Amino acid sequence: MEFRIIARALRYVVIGVFALWTLIPLAWIVSLAFKSYAEWRVSYFIPKNPTVDNFLLLFNPQELLGRYGVMGATAIIEPATKPLLNSLIITAASTVLAVFVGFFTAYGASRYRVPGPFTLFFTLLTRMLPPAIFITPIMVYYSNLRILDTHIGLIALYSAVTVTYAIWILKGFIDAIPIEWEEAAMLEGATPIKVLFKVVLPLVRPGLVVAGLFIFLLTWSELLFALVLTNINAVTLSVHISKYVGAVGQLFGPQAALALIGSIIPVVIGYTIQKHLVTGFTFGMVRG
Amino acid sequence: MVCCSEKNDKDDPTTESQSSKQASIDKTRRAFLIALGTAAVGVGVGYALGYLTKPAEVIRETVERTVTITRTITVTPTPVPTPTPTPIPGLSGAASRAIAGVRDLLSRGVIAPGTTIRILHVAGSRANLEKAIELWSKYVPEVKIELITLGTEPDVYTKAMSEAVTKTGAFDAITIFSTWLGDIVEAGLARTLDDFYTKYDPEYIGPCAPIEPLGSYVTMYKGRRYSLTLDSDVFTLSYRKDLLTSETYRKEFEAQYRKPLKVPDTWEELIDMAKFFTELRLTAPSGGRVWGAYFYLEPAFAAYITWFNIFVEAGGIPFDLETMDPKVDSPEGRYAFDIILRLKPYMPPEAISAAWADLYDKFVKGETVFTAAWPSLTKEAMRPTSAVRGNVGTALMPGVEVEIGGRKIINKAAPNPVNWVGIISNYSANPEVAYLFLQFATAPDIGLDMVLTGVILDLFRACWFTDPAYRAKSAEGYGEEFLDEYMESIKISYPDILIRGGTEYLSKLTTEVNNVAAGLKDPEKALSDIAAEWDSITKKYGRDAQLEAWRALAQLFPDNVKNVWRAKGYMK
Amino acid sequence: MSREIPKSIKLLSTLPLNIVLNAVLIIPFAIMIYLAFLKWSPAMGIDWWMAAFIGIANFIRALGDVRFINALTNTAIYTVAVVSIEFFLGLLLAYLMLEEFIGRKAVLSLIIYPLMLPPVIVASVFYLMFQPYGPVNNVFLRAILGEDALRITWFLNPRLAFTALIIADIWQWTPFIFLILYSALSAVPKRLIEAAQVLGASSFTIFWKIRLPLIKPLIIVAVVLRALEAFKMFDYAYLMTGGGPGVSTETVSLYIYRVSVLYTDISYAAAMSLIVLVMLAIIIRLFIWYFFERVK
Repeated sequence: MEFRIIARALRYVVIGVFALWTLIPLAWIVSLAFKSYAEWRVSYFIPKNPTVDNFLLLFNPQELLGRYGVMGATAIIEPATKPLLNSLIITAASTVLAVFVGFFTAYGASRYRVPGPFTLFFTLLTRMLPPAIFITPIMVYYSNLRILDTHIGLIALYSAVTVTYAIWILKGFIDAIPIEWEEAAMLEGATPIKVLFKVVLPLVRPGLVVAGLFIFLLTWSELLFALVLTNINAVTLSVHISKYVGAVGQLFGPQAALALIGSIIPVVIGYTIQKHLVTGFTFGMVRG
Repeated sequence: MVCCSEKNDKDDPTTESQSSKQASIDKTRRAFLIALGTAAVGVGVGYALGYLTKPAEVIRETVERTVTITRTITVTPTPVPTPTPTPIPGLSGAASRAIAGVRDLLSRGVIAPGTTIRILHVAGSRANLEKAIELWSKYVPEVKIELITLGTEPDVYTKAMSEAVTKTGAFDAITIFSTWLGDIVEAGLARTLDDFYTKYDPEYIGPCAPIEPLGSYVTMYKGRRYSLTLDSDVFTLSYRKDLLTSETYRKEFEAQYRKPLKVPDTWEELIDMAKFFTELRLTAPSGGRVWGAYFYLEPAFAAYITWFNIFVEAGGIPFDLETMDPKVDSPEGRYAFDIILRLKPYMPPEAISAAWADLYDKFVKGETVFTAAWPSLTKEAMRPTSAVRGNVGTALMPGVEVEIGGRKIINKAAPNPVNWVGIISNYSANPEVAYLFLQFATAPDIGLDMVLTGVILDLFRACWFTDPAYRAKSAEGYGEEFLDEYMESIKISYPDILIRGGTEYLSKLTTEVNNVAAGLKDPEKALSDIAAEWDSITKKYGRDAQLEAWRALAQLFPDNVKNVWRAKGYMK
Repeated sequence: MSREIPKSIKLLSTLPLNIVLNAVLIIPFAIMIYLAFLKWSPAMGIDWWMAAFIGIANFIRALGDVRFINALTNTAIYTVAVVSIEFFLGLLLAYLMLEEFIGRKAVLSLIIYPLMLPPVIVASVFYLMFQPYGPVNNVFLRAILGEDALRITWFLNPRLAFTALIIADIWQWTPFIFLILYSALSAVPKRLIEAAQVLGASSFTIFWKIRLPLIKPLIIVAVVLRALEAFKMFDYAYLMTGGGPGVSTETVSLYIYRVSVLYTDISYAAAMSLIVLVMLAIIIRLFIWYFFERVK
């Protein structure tokens, strides 16, 4: 009995320590976002003069930059509204595209082995290449197609490099669906397409959600591709964050503020689908 | 599983379960062939697309492969420009001609009102360029100038090189390091500006011309103009005057080292003083410790400056003038590392890791006694927020004692790294307007306002130092003492390695200097590694072409340096 | 499975994927392979398809490039370190979180929050926290080591700089492995557990003998996915250490990025990428075989 109590206490201690470990850098981000420019490089967490300038600066840089001294005079001035919107459009579109393409492919791969292993292997290859090496060929190619610095270009690229995850996650889910159900529907005269949409699709909804969230997160915070493929029109959130650098150092406060704002969307999505999250991340692979 | 006979596999689905293994191998093979085919077709399509969509309007400058002397100090006099029909009130010379030029283009309908010019630049120059844009829009509100800002210098190089590959025409003008000019011209990105120089005369001759020889070598490549200078970047030694002139410290120093405390003439002297001040353990107003020295050792791009400076002063020559062999693995190279390693204990530990701006930050807070940087350091130290305002002394860079013909002299030289210039993109739809904006922004009257307003661009025209009216204005930003010392520094200034692959040579140097300073590598090993890498860079671009370019560049080193080279037999 | 493949499904399951892949990736991929055999840099002033063909010279150069080998070693050490630490932490945490307790939901929400933040900002924040004036030295280490802690300069010492990168990675990505393992463990059917309990197995035995074997495929998925992403690590090294001091924390991604965009030696970068690719492909191929054999 005593052993049980000790074990339980230990459990709480370990969980508590881990929660604290997660919390500290988070607290540091929040505190940075509310610190004035003199306090970014100090060691205390609670700002002495809390300010919301960092947040205001994101949307009204012209007026606010004056409050950041030399740093402000040498930093960028575009408001963060456009990058946020761009990120939202690009991420949402590429996520939906990747998830649906992935779903169709996963279904074929699971039930009929089309496409074959080679194509699937190729999709994995695209995922494991360091993105740095794709940059130049893609730049050349995109400039020939005239889709550099466009939403379309980024959406296509992001769906292509993330579709792997959709395929692999969803394949596990589809594998777990008893094939008899589909056969039953077929016997009643449903076409294969109808089976796909009416029987399989509703059953893998948790999988779609998880694959979607996963891809959303990867795309939302992607830096390298966006860095080289955007100039003005399609600048994304990560690129914009990396631009808060003046000649005399980074604007840590506004960066933190923008990161907080930028994490709102994934957090909201993440928590609204939390119940799918836990079941979904099994990828349908655990079976008694 | 023993597999099936020939006939059954393809067309008979009932036996497929038996022959699944064979079939799946077949499928894999087929998939592989299909992918291979697709890839081949893809390459074909890529070629075709590349060929078809290659912008036809781009006239590629065929740059002569045979190199003549590339940069010469003597500038061929610019032909007399077409006289401005109506001078613009409030403006003079180059600025007036630029505005008249734009108005003329507008009135002739060559450009439409609402035309936008896009300039790619680094964050540090934002305030400078914004000032110029503000003034520009007073005269030609019809032509908008838009800035595309990137955070760091390497970002700009990356974007510029990408643009050279992709040819989108997204930028009309780009501000670049002069070191990159060779690469950017060769990549086909920079438009030659000789015609515009002739047509509009940006005042590159006469009393107000950019300081020579800087003005020439940063704008010319292989004898042609490709840029307008925005900046000059000769290093000076900056020091805490209050500490150096303090009576108590003078006495203490003399007692300890048996020599006077004064502005150091050589690196050896500087080491003693840096040691002295570091050991005093003073505290700056910011609460930080005061260190004796801070010279660039950081890994991103600036570490080479310090080493190269000492190396040149010690009489080192980077490449052999006959064979183009690297000559860094030499007594001079070892001496430069020796100085760096002896000086390092008296520098703040961040010197080997923090970004270049950290040196500014520490000096402005009063946390370093001796430091060397671009002119903008002085500008920052003069601002009201600076803790060292009024206590900054400027001097020539410390030198190295060398022997020429049995006589000992102190050889001093000053680096001129970076030096921002503006180029016009070959793929711009409105190169002429973009050029006119740069001419306007760098004109004698407008340019001074631009330089004084922002951070990273500094004084580059001679008359800003000499003409009384301009000089008074310059002195407000930099102080009289600086203006005098800077003019002297320019006389002993030497260029970066402004030949093709300049960025590569220097970034290898930077990496190794940082390695040695951080204690990760032995100087001997670092020097031989640099030599090996430099040699392979030279090979890549062709030894003969590089040698030709280097011979021309070597002529631009100051006379005192060339004299030492001659004494050592490095130069004939 | 011996069913005939319906045309419509065949079309649907291959066409969209092929459009997406071919349109976006195959052509650049082919260009990249071609480039690896050329001597080309944009600064040479010629278009890439006109560059000289130099065979495998780039590959030979890469194999003799100390900096490349160094980057590979760093990346391998980094990947092994972060994946194993994250795996054990994630597994431990998933095990501990299985049992219901007050506030479990809140703790769960907190623990997975780092996944929602862009790596760019995580890198900036850890960069600040590890500065000599930052909270790591001034608050936490000071409590243990006293004033000595203030003298620790994390980014100047190769080992410490590497540690800082690993800590940032662990902070952000342990939740990823945790989430997969936690989902998997929760999905293990109750009846199996109950049956084992009836037979008198201790909770540790149940975990070790029943739960773990059942979730083995997911462990592999989690570890492989994480290893792939860790191998590509760019953001942290780029923003926190810049690969320094020296090249002691330079990863493959960072080195290839530098060679291709900073030194514009693009064909050499392509060759190095191909070498990395082949190495990874062998490892991944083994993984796929395992994965395929398991699913029918």
